[in-house]
Amino acid sequence: MSRFSLGERRVERAGDDAALAFRNAVHEAAKTASANADSVDDRACPEGVSSYLYSDAPDDLTTEQIAALPISAFESAPGDAREAERTGYSHYSYWGSTFRMFLANRGAVVALSIVIIIVLFTFIQPYLPRQADPNLIHNNPETGLQIINRAPDAEFWFGTNSIGQDLWARIWSGTRTSLYIGLTVAVIQAAIGILMGVLWGYVRRLDFLFTEIYNILNNIPTTIVLILASYILRPSVRTIILAMSFTSWIVLARFIRNLTMIIRDQDFNVASRCLGTGLWRIIMRNLLPQMVSVIMLRVALSIPYAIDMEVFLTYIGLGVPIETPSLGNLINAGRILMMSPSLRYQLIFPAIVLSLLTICFYLTGNAFADAADPKNHR
Amino acid sequence: MLLYIAKRLGRALISLCLIIVVVFVLLRQMPVEGYFASFDKMTPIQVENGLRKLGLLDPLPVQLLNFFKQLAQGSLGVSARYRQNYPIARIIAQKAPFSLRFGLIAVGISIPLGLGLGVLMARRKGGAWDRIGTVYIVFMQAVPSAIYYLFLQLYGTQALNISLLYNPDKWQTMILPVISLSMPSVAYFAMWMRRYTVDEANKEYIKLARVKGVPTMAVWFRHVFRNAVVPIVQLIPNSLLLTLAGSIYVESLYSIPGMGGLMVDVIKRQDNTMVQALVIIFAMLTIVGLLLGDLAMALVDPRISLARKAEAR
Amino acid sequence: MTFNEELVAESAALRNEPAASRTGESRDTVLSIRDLHVRFRLRGQSLHAIRGVSLDVARHETLAIVGESGAGKSVLMKNLCGLLDPNGWIDGGSIMYEGMDLASFRSERDWARVRGKHIAMVTQDPMTSLNPLKTVGWQIEEALRYNQQLRGAAARRRMLELLADVGIPDTQRRASQYPHEFSGGMRQRVVIAIALACNPKLLICDEPTTALDVTIQAQILRLIHDIKVKYGLTLIYITHDLGVVANVADRIAVMYAGDIVELGACEEVFFDPRHPYTWALLSSLPQLGVKKQELYAIQGTPPNLFQPIRGDAFAPRNPWALAVDFAHRPPYGRVSPTHKARTWLLDPRAPAVEPPPAVRSIRTLFERGAFTENPQGGNG
Repeated sequence: MSRFSLGERRVERAGDDAALAFRNAVHEAAKTASANADSVDDRACPEGVSSYLYSDAPDDLTTEQIAALPISAFESAPGDAREAERTGYSHYSYWGSTFRMFLANRGAVVALSIVIIIVLFTFIQPYLPRQADPNLIHNNPETGLQIINRAPDAEFWFGTNSIGQDLWARIWSGTRTSLYIGLTVAVIQAAIGILMGVLWGYVRRLDFLFTEIYNILNNIPTTIVLILASYILRPSVRTIILAMSFTSWIVLARFIRNLTMIIRDQDFNVASRCLGTGLWRIIMRNLLPQMVSVIMLRVALSIPYAIDMEVFLTYIGLGVPIETPSLGNLINAGRILMMSPSLRYQLIFPAIVLSLLTICFYLTGNAFADAADPKNHR
Repeated sequence: MLLYIAKRLGRALISLCLIIVVVFVLLRQMPVEGYFASFDKMTPIQVENGLRKLGLLDPLPVQLLNFFKQLAQGSLGVSARYRQNYPIARIIAQKAPFSLRFGLIAVGISIPLGLGLGVLMARRKGGAWDRIGTVYIVFMQAVPSAIYYLFLQLYGTQALNISLLYNPDKWQTMILPVISLSMPSVAYFAMWMRRYTVDEANKEYIKLARVKGVPTMAVWFRHVFRNAVVPIVQLIPNSLLLTLAGSIYVESLYSIPGMGGLMVDVIKRQDNTMVQALVIIFAMLTIVGLLLGDLAMALVDPRISLARKAEAR
Repeated sequence: MTFNEELVAESAALRNEPAASRTGESRDTVLSIRDLHVRFRLRGQSLHAIRGVSLDVARHETLAIVGESGAGKSVLMKNLCGLLDPNGWIDGGSIMYEGMDLASFRSERDWARVRGKHIAMVTQDPMTSLNPLKTVGWQIEEALRYNQQLRGAAARRRMLELLADVGIPDTQRRASQYPHEFSGGMRQRVVIAIALACNPKLLICDEPTTALDVTIQAQILRLIHDIKVKYGLTLIYITHDLGVVANVADRIAVMYAGDIVELGACEEVFFDPRHPYTWALLSSLPQLGVKKQELYAIQGTPPNLFQPIRGDAFAPRNPWALAVDFAHRPPYGRVSPTHKARTWLLDPRAPAVEPPPAVRSIRTLFERGAFTENPQGGNG
């Protein structure tokens, strides 16, 4: 009932009150008529009214109720097709639905919260009181010796490493480095991938050329390119970003190209083109919004991927220099010590932070891609 | 069909040549110390003589041509630092069987497991299997493989009470590396199998098959699964790509004398000629793998004929 | 004799059965739907897709179900083979077929008793209805195996016969080809052959010609009619195009917003339609168009079935609506023993309303052959 009255109020606001008042009056009349079905209405129809009824199925009104309908109910009241159209379908907003879909996925909301908390914390952490420098080697003031491999306690929350650096500080500093790599790669990948993909998909003349280039590049394993690039350039954060950006945009470009091709030939774009809308405007207004889900997914996933690859490159000895704390460096340092149970915390702590971060990014990306896909809006 | 194969073959060949040229040219930019075992003790004249002997002072195109000639004869040059002056091809011939054995066992295990899991997930969307499988896939996809490789090695060797490293005489030491290599592949196959199965199950022809009175199980096996497996065929060689990074990790973690472990060794020792050879070999393997995948696909899917295959799928 | 004249003659012959066989209830009823309600859950809301439909289908008749897209035609038919989407369910009513209530079927095992052997279906889109990785012959033989217990050489022989029956030439070669080697019309013939291989009693054709081009449409239509006669089938034909069924249907049910608004023998619905929606549908037939005059189009859109419908669902779009239409759902009014319509206009108290002139001219047009004209002139 409430939904019904809402609909009517909308009509009212639209300004058709006269028609509405009339309709409601008729409705009331008919309702009372059917309620007092036994009482005889003198204007109501005479005998034999039921003779025309074809009653092989149950209906809303009984024969008596029909007979009792007032003659006024049978006045002509042509329908208004425009109004039918207006109330015909519910309002739909793309971003509204996307937002609602995402919020409905409780796991994703939790994941997103964790992502936000971790990202915010990595940036706030250095400014909090009592935070150590990640590269400072702590010495025992009494003995003057380095505090090495101290188990976690009140002073060093995550303990110290094999040369006496504070692991807590190093982990957050490392997370910062890894996030920086991941986000930068994601942005570069998105920028190049979208530009190339849209050009590839939209400009027919480029299609053949791009496709051939893609088919050749796609045959080259990204891991190899990554290893090669890191091997030739000196190990540094910039090298890793460069190597990863170089390979990752191709996949995104292909996704975008396929989407563009599908959307390009849809009716509304043909219509737009016929109306003389410029290429840039078509791309911005008609293409990009439809691609949001794919782009968001790729970007969100490129962060765990970037972190993974950083760990990999560090493992094979091509990662960032040891002075720069990164999650890859920490894992690698922890690995060397993992055989002695008392030092295992140096592997476990970075591993937990790393896994939490990548899983949450992955879940958020997936959930957002699902929510942003209009096919799932229900 | 022949035209399609020829086209596909040509493309693979171009990719291979391209990558060889790029690798070769790029590696020439590396410091020259990577060509000598004891660079620090050498005088500049000795270095120059050594480089000349290796043909590295010739103009780049000449070097490239010589390299291709050498490749055509099946030679990959000699190692500079890893094992001085030892033919690389022979080093690889010793290492390859180990990688091959582990890789094949891992793929052999992960295909049935992955496909089975994917099918179980797709049969009841949102059911128990679907949930378990999804958690597993998310974990494998999101968590860097180094993490679970390390913890598997750490706690697995303790649980099985075996040594940390691979020992060719003890078959038990093969278990953990094989599990490590299979874990991500199982997730990979399960993910695609689930997707393709769900796709096929929603197709119109499945409805027709049901309406014509084919029993449910027969519809699932003869129509849905059968058709969902077809695109998987293309992914099988592709999964070599996936195990490449994995084999580098796993082989060096367990000290398996294979090509992945070798890669880590030669990078750490900055052996230019070895890095060059290994990069080219790995690239070649993946290119051949992708090629085989496409050709296998063309064999099982009657729709791919006469080069009518959709480009850049 | 052109193909269409033949059709007219044939369907006339069919309709000249004894009067008793044409009066709804007393006939040999194959299928009886009573007060069926179907709902869907969509975007967290409940959609009332079928709103109390009752329908009898007589043996050997051709019943056409006509209506706009979204009127619930296909949903209604999907209930007959257990193909309702998982988010839909039957919310009351019964579907009686040979003593079984199909509305109570829940498991695939239940449906296995009915599908194929009893009720078969020709689906809408021939391009996607065939398994792309199996040969055409294999797919027909599969139906033969489960419904007629034919295997091996016997199945192959029957399969080739069926292919010939549906008008596919060079059957030996064609049988071993894959669906992608067939054109749309040819694939639809194969789908029909598969339906026939089931040896069903009731055949449902769900817009079988919609995805095909016009010249092919006529051929497929004719084929369906021919096999109906040859195999003694009961046929339910779903379409949004009244023109298509003018010659083949014995009876026509007009659906609007999940309800049957008018039901009658073919000529009754064409020559004496009573529901304003039927008038609107008929008026928008291109055959009624006058040169240089805009073709009639129904204003507005069908109602939103997420919300409860008060009164007559068509009222907002109906220029002849009565006040009562907005308050109460009309009952079925009797026009003849075989013809009923759900409109208050049949009430004696309602003002006398003339159908639009275009509709009144249908009989004349029909006699002049406007509906039997065929671009190809048939091939018969």
